[in-house]
Amino acid sequence: MRWIRTIIVSLCLFAPAGYAMAQTLDDLAYETVEPPRIKLGESAILRVTSFGRIKDVTLPIIPGLVFEPMGRSQGFDFVNGSTLPATFFSIRITPQFAGVFTIPGLTPSSRPVGLEVVKGDEPNPYTWHSQQPTPAPVPIGSLPKGVQLQAGGAAFVHLAIPARPIYVGESVPVEIDVGLRAGIVTSVNGLPTLKGSDFTFNNLSKQPERREETIDGGAFILLTWHSALAAVKPGDFELSAEAPLTVKMSTLSAADRAVASRLAYPLLQSMYSGVAPKEMTIESSPLQLKVLPLPLEGQPDKFSGAVGEFRASSDVAPASVAAGEPLTLRLHISGAGNFDRVDSTMFDHLDHWKTYPAKSSFTPSDAVGNEGEKVFEQPLIAAQPGEQSIPGLEFDYFNPNTRQYEHLQTPEIKVTVAASLASGLGLNSASATGAAAGLRPDHRLPQGSVSELRPLYFRALFLMIPTMLALLLAGSWFAVRPNAARATSKAAKRVLAELDAAARAGDSSVFFAAAKRVLLQSFAARWQMPADQITIAELKARLGATAEDLERLFAIADETKYSDDQSGGTDFQRWIGLIRDQLISERE
Amino acid sequence: MRTGKIPMLITGLALWAGQALAQTPQPTYSADGLYNQANAYARAGKPGLAVLSYERAALLAPADPDIIANLAYVRASAHVPVKPLSRFARLAEAASPTVAAWLGVLGIALVGVGLVAGRVAARFLWIPGGGVLLGVALMVLAAANAMLLWPRLHEAVILIDQAPARVSPAPMADTAFVLREAESVTMTAEHEDFILIRSGGGLTGWVSRANLGAVLPSD
Repeated sequence: MRWIRTIIVSLCLFAPAGYAMAQTLDDLAYETVEPPRIKLGESAILRVTSFGRIKDVTLPIIPGLVFEPMGRSQGFDFVNGSTLPATFFSIRITPQFAGVFTIPGLTPSSRPVGLEVVKGDEPNPYTWHSQQPTPAPVPIGSLPKGVQLQAGGAAFVHLAIPARPIYVGESVPVEIDVGLRAGIVTSVNGLPTLKGSDFTFNNLSKQPERREETIDGGAFILLTWHSALAAVKPGDFELSAEAPLTVKMSTLSAADRAVASRLAYPLLQSMYSGVAPKEMTIESSPLQLKVLPLPLEGQPDKFSGAVGEFRASSDVAPASVAAGEPLTLRLHISGAGNFDRVDSTMFDHLDHWKTYPAKSSFTPSDAVGNEGEKVFEQPLIAAQPGEQSIPGLEFDYFNPNTRQYEHLQTPEIKVTVAASLASGLGLNSASATGAAAGLRPDHRLPQGSVSELRPLYFRALFLMIPTMLALLLAGSWFAVRPNAARATSKAAKRVLAELDAAARAGDSSVFFAAAKRVLLQSFAARWQMPADQITIAELKARLGATAEDLERLFAIADETKYSDDQSGGTDFQRWIGLIRDQLISERE
Repeated sequence: MRTGKIPMLITGLALWAGQALAQTPQPTYSADGLYNQANAYARAGKPGLAVLSYERAALLAPADPDIIANLAYVRASAHVPVKPLSRFARLAEAASPTVAAWLGVLGIALVGVGLVAGRVAARFLWIPGGGVLLGVALMVLAAANAMLLWPRLHEAVILIDQAPARVSPAPMADTAFVLREAESVTMTAEHEDFILIRSGGGLTGWVSRANLGAVLPSD
């Protein structure tokens, strides 16, 4: 019984308090006008935020202002760092004349708000007090057609592609819009992705376009990414986009939320602030895209697969060159389309010009590379001086708008080619010829090769060969004994001349003395023994019968040396013959 | 025993052959290959690399008229001054360094053999004498060829246009002067990633190693 009494007492005490808290929450509401100052002809948004159970608000009647209800939505509002369920009413206010208006509170607890309407040419009085520009009013937008809010009304993703059929290879721009309710979506966890097979996608623009809009009475941040897609084969395909997000979601059940809505602010609200971030991926509605094949009829031979709308022009730089000096011929292809398939080989061959392979560069003018300019550059070298002409360049592409192949041709370019550069630089004749004719042609495939570029005579291994050879030959030179006969031949000639002179003079003493000396020297060199050790016996032993004549010659020499006997003078020629024979036999 | 050793020997030979095959092959050079490579660089609009390849080809075949003509042509196209070869240089470089090296060896052999023969011979001394003279001539030819080629071994070619030559071997050092692409310079010293060069005009400065290519690769 006691506890029943306790309950009754408690009810009596707390019921009025609970009712009061509920009534307080029902009455809690506030209004905002954005922007608070507008020009005549513009509109402002009156936003009523109610934390109670208000179903509707009554529009006020104020002369000069027209109120249009825009809608009612439910969500969360953040008050003092806490999330509370709230109901939002959006009302568009359009002024009819300038002035300062006071809009009364549309709920019992909301305060009046003011709206200032100025004429279009009226200066802004606030600029006297602040250098900060007046923030632009948040434009009012609406959800794209066929798009629904996802993640509890916190976000949406919209994919925009051309509605018309596209052609295989055609590059078409794609837009991905992601709308995020301010304060509810806490982060975008990566770039949106396109889902669809049989397509190639360009990279998304690095930084999305960001703008704010009021959609369904709620503030939304709209992020727009751009890309381009191209179909690789014909057919009917589906395409969609998805974006990863983190959204603040209520973790409370419906019953808990009902209880929470009854709680007075700020009392006990923390017990029911069951809002937690949740990662999720939202996806756009799939779109149908029809891809047509490129027509085969009328397809040019040089068609490279370029699809789009292009313009072509060409130029050269410099406009005048010397023969042998390179110039650059440029082909500019600009417009919109699949620039990765825009290709041109320029000139493979050109009379009076030496051509080189062309290279290209692309400069996009939009974020996704669907529009821009591709420039082909080809170096050319004039082979001969004079007024030269470069024919126009051609480019073929398929225009998806006209649905036919287009042919572009640039006009012919005149170039003045001066005399050879090489002659001006004073090059030798060989190089001048080379300059006039451009580069000389390649050689045949190389036959032999070396493993090192360093010349042989600077390699240590090779230097060993001449060193060893030189040492070997030097050793041989020292090892080989000089030819004795050669050493004595000159002396023998000299002595023979001396003997002839003595014979002609009839001087036998000089003749025989010289004869004996040269013969002994000759024998000594031949037999490798001292001359004074050569005896008659030695001569007989070595020369045999010839020794007798030599013995007699030596005897006469001794006789003439110690006497004045000149008897042998008539035999001078015989003795000279004998001596010459001995000297010749020695050399042989 | 013998039957067991033969398979082991075969296995060992196979392993040795495998190791030999697995070794990184050394780069090979040929005058024609380098010349064709230089032509390709020239057509691609890379005069620095083209001149470098021509210079390397000229190391192997200095008298090749195509190499001389195209080297002069590319240098002229790149507005790099061309030094005309002297008559002596053209004469000395008529033979390739390899031929000149072997001619020098032959010259040494002729001189040596001539001297030895002259020492031992008693008649027809003009034959070893002529051999000695011919040998000396061949040695002079080889020496002249080597002397002319020696400076080229220390040359390098600038590979980028407006390559800065700095006052000190540091990336942030002041630029003393700039060098044209395809210009030949002489390397005199090196420090880390910089090489001290002397330009054709006699200016000296430090150039980043990445901005030039040595005519004689360091391998």
